[in-house]
Amino acid sequence: MGRPPQRTDQMSDLPTTCARCDSTGTIRVLTTSPVPGAWTMYACSTCTYSWRSTEAAYVSDPATYPAAFKVDPAAIAEMPVVPTVPPRRA
Amino acid sequence: MPYRDLREFLSVLEEEGQLLKHTDPVHPEPDLSAAARAVPNLTDRGPALLFDNIHGYRRGRVALNVVGSWPNHALMLGMDKDTPVKEQFFEFARRWDDYPVPAERRDDAPWQEHTIDEGIDLFQLLPLFRLNRYDVGTYIDKAVVVSRDPDDPDHFGKQNAGIYRIQVKDKATLGIQPLPTHDIGLHLRAAEERGENLPVAIAIGNDPVMTTVSGMPLTYEQSEYEMAGAIQGEPYRIAKAPLTGLDVPWGAEVVLEGEILAGVREIEGPFGEFTGHYSGGRRQPVIRITKVSHRTDPIFEHLYLGMPWTEMDYTLALNTSVPLYQQLKKDFPEVVAVNAMYTQGLLAVVSVKQRYGGFAKAVGMRAMTTPHGLGYCKVMIMVDETVDPFNLAQVMWAMSVKFHPQHDIVTVPNASVLPLDPSSDPAGITHKVVFDATTPIAPETRGHYSQTVDAPADTKKWEDLLKGLIK
Repeated sequence: MGRPPQRTDQMSDLPTTCARCDSTGTIRVLTTSPVPGAWTMYACSTCTYSWRSTEAAYVSDPATYPAAFKVDPAAIAEMPVVPTVPPRRA
Repeated sequence: MPYRDLREFLSVLEEEGQLLKHTDPVHPEPDLSAAARAVPNLTDRGPALLFDNIHGYRRGRVALNVVGSWPNHALMLGMDKDTPVKEQFFEFARRWDDYPVPAERRDDAPWQEHTIDEGIDLFQLLPLFRLNRYDVGTYIDKAVVVSRDPDDPDHFGKQNAGIYRIQVKDKATLGIQPLPTHDIGLHLRAAEERGENLPVAIAIGNDPVMTTVSGMPLTYEQSEYEMAGAIQGEPYRIAKAPLTGLDVPWGAEVVLEGEILAGVREIEGPFGEFTGHYSGGRRQPVIRITKVSHRTDPIFEHLYLGMPWTEMDYTLALNTSVPLYQQLKKDFPEVVAVNAMYTQGLLAVVSVKQRYGGFAKAVGMRAMTTPHGLGYCKVMIMVDETVDPFNLAQVMWAMSVKFHPQHDIVTVPNASVLPLDPSSDPAGITHKVVFDATTPIAPETRGHYSQTVDAPADTKKWEDLLKGLIK
């Protein structure tokens, strides 16, 4: 704590691959810092994963993202629905 | 007492030396959550944290660990910050019995100062940040979410104010976890059966009593606002949210309004939970926010949770213990106190005066069939009425010298538990156990317990004397 912010803006470098679901071409800029140039946030449209450009590589690097937390895009549709959607009343 | 808003409570914490203002620059990640994790690692008497120099924000402020220690919990109740936990427990239970105290309606809420209807971007308004390393994104997890019963919208008591985990998925889109057992889960079910969206108001940054009450397991028709009045000893202030007409805390920093979209489920999670484990990804409801009201330079109050203890364990400690105590005492007046503050009562300690041999075991099993116990109370430790269940040194003493492994274990097979318990298998099912660490009484006459060492005469007098001298 207390160190001066050092990490740079990566806005111009839109990541190509989602660290979590390994989808490509699904990443968008979520928002940018109120103080221009401080950071950019990204989000994956496939798995809703989001992260900030100033975060450590452990959240953004697809190669080292732990297997236990990876998501297969094909499995998303099979995930449990909580709560279930009830039938409409007659 | 009472505190009208978060800012008033922070001022009192500062006066009492229980607020640490951090003005050096910090990064949203990992600094903010690391700091909130660090405080309860160090002490159970730690301060709240207020950050006002967050990288990328001009005036962003984040408050953490606001009720994250016993002194702060005592101050929340308006008690001396050195009040022992057991005394806080009995005072909390006493005030609970004052329910209901009618709410005070007002139309001059400070959050009415600013309104956003177009171009909402929650990331610009609040310094949202990731809590745990593999959370799916940023969350809002200490906000009061208000909704009404679509089949009975004018029923004040059925209006619910609860705290649920909320993933911030986009600038004005949220994911929420309204479980079927939650009151908001009942509201959503009724709305979806009707084919309607469910209007919600989300109040961020509140006085500590409202936060506490919003985590209470009240009955469906009980009003959180009328309980907040009971706990704080004066009517609780509420105001109407402009878009939805829902009643929200008068003192909130920010009020978000929108709708849970009927029939929509989208991937949410994982999120590091209070069990010290992540909950996996599931498809859950989505909220679209269409109106924001807020104070000037709002404070984002947030809660770190993970492996206990964290702030959540303090905020829920007596919330969990007091209802269990009252439900058990109704059937068994011999129950003296209940400490159900370990992982929200997955483990609980009950002190009870035994009527006859085997009695404590029965009380332990009864705890498992209370409304809260159905999802918790996996491990029950029963101790004598002379043992303070909040004093773990005494509880461990009882376990070490009163408990007999051959006679004092009752196992209940295949009982229900909350699915988040990572040991449950299948999720939601577990064996449960009672450890009876009370002194055997007739017809159980085993052991050698006739020569207890009691305290020297006048020990209590000296406790009081020394307490004054130490202070």
